[in-house]
Amino acid sequence: MRFSNFKMAASMGEKLKCRDLHGYLQTLPSSVLDRLYNHPATCLAVFRELPTLAKHYVTRVLFVDQPVLKTSVESWVQKSHLANHKKAIQVLSDLRVWQDQTLPGGLPGWQLNTIFRTNLRITLLGGGKPWSGTGKTAPDKNAKDIESLSKYALDRWELVLHFLVGSKGDDSVSADIAHVLVHSGLMKQNEQGKPVITPSGFQFLLLDTASQVWFFMLQYLETAESRGLNLVDALSFLFRLSFSSFGKDYSCESMNESQLQFLQHLRELGLVFQRKRKSMRYYPTSLAINLASGVTNASTDTHREGFLVIETNHRVYAYTESDLQVEILGLFTQMLYRFPNLSVGMVTRESIQQAVSFGITAEQILHYLRTNTHPEMRSKVPIIPPTISDQIRLWELERDRLSFQPGVVYNQFLSSQDFELLRDYAKDLGVLMLDNAVTRTLVVTTSGHDDVKKFWRRQKKGQQS
Amino acid sequence: MMGKRERKNGDGSKGKNSKRTKVANIDQDEDSLGVDGTVELPESASRHVEEQVTEEDEFGAKDYRQLLQLKLDHKSRPLWLAPDGHIFLESFSPVYKRAHDFLIAISEPVCRPEHIHEYKLTAYSLYAAVSVGLQTSDIIEYLRRLSKTSIPDGIIEFIKLCTLSYGKLKLVLKHNRYFVESTHPDVLQRLLKDPVVQQCRLREDVDEDGQETKEGFLVSKLSGQSALKLNQPNANSTGTPGSSASQDGAEQNGEEKTEIPSDIYDFYQKIDREDEEGEELQTVSFEVRQEEIENLQRRCIELEFPLLAEYDFRNDTHNPDLNIDLKPTTVLRPYQEKSLRKMFGNGRARSGVIVLPCGAGKTLVGVTAACTIRKRCLVLCTSGVAVEQWRSQFKMWSTVDDSMICRFTSDAKDKPMGCSISISTYSMVAHTTKRSWEAEQVMKWLRQQEWGLMLLDEVHTIPAKQFRRVLTVVQAHCKLGLTATLVREDDKIADLNFLIGPKLYEANWMELQRMNFIARVQCAEVWCPMTPEFYREYLGIRTRKQLLLYVMNPNKFRACQFLVRFHEQQNDKVIVFSDNVFALKHYAIAMDKPYIYGPTSQGERLQILQNFQHNPLVNTIFISKVGDNSFDLPEANVLIQISSHGGSRRQEAQRLGRILRAKKGGAAEEYNAFFYTLVSQDTQEMYYSMKRQRFLVNQGYSFKIITKLAGIDESNLKYSSRQEQQQLLQQVLCASDLDAEEEKLPGESNTKSSSQYVRRVGSMSSMSGADDQVYVEYQSKSRKGQAQHPLFKKFR
Repeated sequence: MRFSNFKMAASMGEKLKCRDLHGYLQTLPSSVLDRLYNHPATCLAVFRELPTLAKHYVTRVLFVDQPVLKTSVESWVQKSHLANHKKAIQVLSDLRVWQDQTLPGGLPGWQLNTIFRTNLRITLLGGGKPWSGTGKTAPDKNAKDIESLSKYALDRWELVLHFLVGSKGDDSVSADIAHVLVHSGLMKQNEQGKPVITPSGFQFLLLDTASQVWFFMLQYLETAESRGLNLVDALSFLFRLSFSSFGKDYSCESMNESQLQFLQHLRELGLVFQRKRKSMRYYPTSLAINLASGVTNASTDTHREGFLVIETNHRVYAYTESDLQVEILGLFTQMLYRFPNLSVGMVTRESIQQAVSFGITAEQILHYLRTNTHPEMRSKVPIIPPTISDQIRLWELERDRLSFQPGVVYNQFLSSQDFELLRDYAKDLGVLMLDNAVTRTLVVTTSGHDDVKKFWRRQKKGQQS
Repeated sequence: MMGKRERKNGDGSKGKNSKRTKVANIDQDEDSLGVDGTVELPESASRHVEEQVTEEDEFGAKDYRQLLQLKLDHKSRPLWLAPDGHIFLESFSPVYKRAHDFLIAISEPVCRPEHIHEYKLTAYSLYAAVSVGLQTSDIIEYLRRLSKTSIPDGIIEFIKLCTLSYGKLKLVLKHNRYFVESTHPDVLQRLLKDPVVQQCRLREDVDEDGQETKEGFLVSKLSGQSALKLNQPNANSTGTPGSSASQDGAEQNGEEKTEIPSDIYDFYQKIDREDEEGEELQTVSFEVRQEEIENLQRRCIELEFPLLAEYDFRNDTHNPDLNIDLKPTTVLRPYQEKSLRKMFGNGRARSGVIVLPCGAGKTLVGVTAACTIRKRCLVLCTSGVAVEQWRSQFKMWSTVDDSMICRFTSDAKDKPMGCSISISTYSMVAHTTKRSWEAEQVMKWLRQQEWGLMLLDEVHTIPAKQFRRVLTVVQAHCKLGLTATLVREDDKIADLNFLIGPKLYEANWMELQRMNFIARVQCAEVWCPMTPEFYREYLGIRTRKQLLLYVMNPNKFRACQFLVRFHEQQNDKVIVFSDNVFALKHYAIAMDKPYIYGPTSQGERLQILQNFQHNPLVNTIFISKVGDNSFDLPEANVLIQISSHGGSRRQEAQRLGRILRAKKGGAAEEYNAFFYTLVSQDTQEMYYSMKRQRFLVNQGYSFKIITKLAGIDESNLKYSSRQEQQQLLQQVLCASDLDAEEEKLPGESNTKSSSQYVRRVGSMSSMSGADDQVYVEYQSKSRKGQAQHPLFKKFR
């Protein structure tokens, strides 16, 4: 009993970790990082995501070719903001944007990464090669407008999610994508060898779309090398995509084989649109363009219009026709009605606790609700009625109101005298946790167990002799 | 689609039968209370929306996606209609106001929070709809236009079933003669084919006010003008009452029109016109023998044509007109006016129930109704205090003077003779045993009078048995029920539809709150952890004493004391409610505050209440269950509830009502009234508390859960030390089981329908007839196969 409870707590603590761009780049070996900076797009993407102070440092030393004194960098900020300063220089050195360099006088200093510097200068001042292939393409007679592109992207992405929840059969995504899902721990093989969703997978579903795509792409890149894909190629292509303009088509003539294969995967995920496999042009979709910003803390899902209305009477109304969304909602609500464009559900104690037992936290549920609220609800602050958010949190807390302490049980005393003797001894030591005179049972702490045991042995011996 | 429809028809009868048996069950429970009724409900009243086995989706939800087709312009239409009768309405839709008015008329509101409201079509609600003049075809057509999807066939069937025979016939008292009137000659003809009805008919050769048609009916015109005359709040709105209501909607109309599909708008106007103004309608009628009225009514219910009672008071010359009017300064609020317009819509007075939140001015509605009818009026309320309050309200709003009002209670008996407005309590009138000679005389007088209007205050509280006796004893042409909470845990509330009349109007609490007609209340549930010692005892015993343990939980006491102190410092007036008398006394004495409970005398009660209202030193009072209904305490703005009656939704709402009366000033703050429920954690109370809140949550209130009161540890409170807590525990354990009982009020029946016996603890004096308790022997008859409803034992 006690043991099983411990295990549950452990699985509950397993929270889906989603790194941001810097978090991801920091895990890469320095050689890869250096090669990444070979492309201006990467440099700009990295620069864009730097903390403000770090950005400031970079611009300040961008055109200084010698290393700068560490002490002088420190003097740029007031003492009271030292913490910010420390954070900024930490990030910069982690990302190898600049490196330690000893100045001629033996004083420590910083030197901007030369490749990074060159390429960032190019992005800021212009010049260099065009980022995306050979540039101009012939006008497309099957050109797509922005609206249908967005829809296409979301449809494709939903297919992946559908596969995740197992609602659309096993063949809806390619083996590679399925492999990524299993590798990332969102799914696992069941006894029949079929992939099924894991607790992390449920948490993944509750993320907003941008974060989902970002998380998935990170996992994809981790497995990229095993698939023979050049990580640097793929990454820089992704960064280039994120700077392309929505609704414009790009040529893929200059791409190499590994990049073309990567493109096919992106196509499957809905990050780019390509009419035919062999067609030599592609359209990046909004999913790809928003990608490089990493995990968003956005209060709304940028890719989908809000559709949830949450009422103070615990009802949740979802304006959606998507089975997937209803499926996700069904994770933590009890569904009552389905109309053609509306689903009605209710948040109950049971439904929330079931979700919690899946490993979903109250915070994740609330985040999902918050990011998907209907525009009608946005005007209010806070968006979710506080009674509902409080209630959901309380329901979650209800599960761990018990705290567990290991202990050792002593029972089956032959006489109440023995029992009292041992109980009083344990009490004096301060290791008694529980005692019941009727059943002659007592529980002592594990630390006190040895002492009590010894005392009992001595006592026994004394009685026998 | 076709297959489904057929199945539905097939199911219809089966469902009905099962419902019948349920009615019979309730009946048997009532038997134990000594009721033997012989009249039944109309068959279709017990009908529910029949539903075939709906497909369920993978989540167990009812899946209507195949059944309903989404309209192309669904975005501009406001509602979904589920085949099980539930309706979901978007409150942010541009046509919300119209749809809402319409839905209120035809269905019961289930919950009305902020964005999406839920309603339910029931047999009763449709009955109410037709009785205020809506037509079957109009209901269906307008629903069709408002709906985002196609309307399920089952619903259309249901509406037809419930409305075709209802509301077609009216029993009208005109020139002191009873007529059965209808706008549908064919219905009358059908009715007259019945031999029983034929016997009831009174034939005359010539008639003055209508010429005989070839079928032998009297033909007359029904004026469409509303009989309601009110003081208009400002001079420029001179039109009919209808025009002032349309004004508040008018500002929005201008901008809205563009978005609304034209069919909705056109149709709304049509219905609105019919509803408010009415047209001159040709009606046919036949006269009825006065002595046969009861038989006729019963027979009509059996024939599924229930008669609606209408009172043509302007043509009543038999009963003298009263010389009362509203004072010129009395101005009604829009919703009060609207509710009364439903009552007096066609120039006559309809019987029915008006539902307004507590504190929203139900009394004024009653007074206005009395001033409109201007006939003898009988007001019945729940307690002596309420009687006084009605009397002062009558004097406040209308030109009535003291000599016209007569009170009839156990404490105050005014001379009835010559009085035209009588105010009494239900228990007084329904009293069955011997009274004093004086009271007997008054009762005799009450019985002899022909009352123009009977006002029934807090109509939800009355047990059916007592209520029916009241209706048998006193004769009134028109009955108006007033209540805030049309819910009862035993679901018998729907029967009021046939005892008094349909629900005429129900206000939206949240809307009134937004318009500042009632206070903005912050509801909070305070969780008080049980102290270990108390919890151990709580788990150890299985008797009623458990209740005492969680009510007397020291942490609860401390929370209560803390809140009282906190609010007194803010100059608030605090009422503390406790159902348990032991706790009430203990809390009040420990905090040194006045308290009122059952045995407190009328004089003392009034004195305490007056002190509470006017004395700045008395800011907190403790009240038991006796204060649940109609204690009008306009000053109170904080309510703390320490113990309550199980899971009663009604009590919760009624208690909230004590602080709902609109507060002056404080408009800047978000809330100007506070409602706390103190709950001992991990006890039964938690479960009850959730149940109790359902009604208010459905009205759109939200309960904030407070797990810790900030600053409670710092303040110097009683029972903080372990020693004090131990002493308290000893006191609680010494208390008898009797102390753990809730206070029993006279005239209150046990609402738990599952148990056949009611066990009451009482002292010797109460057994022998004091405390208004009466020993009566009941005989339960076994009736087989007879589905009879106790409510309809006798009519009128």
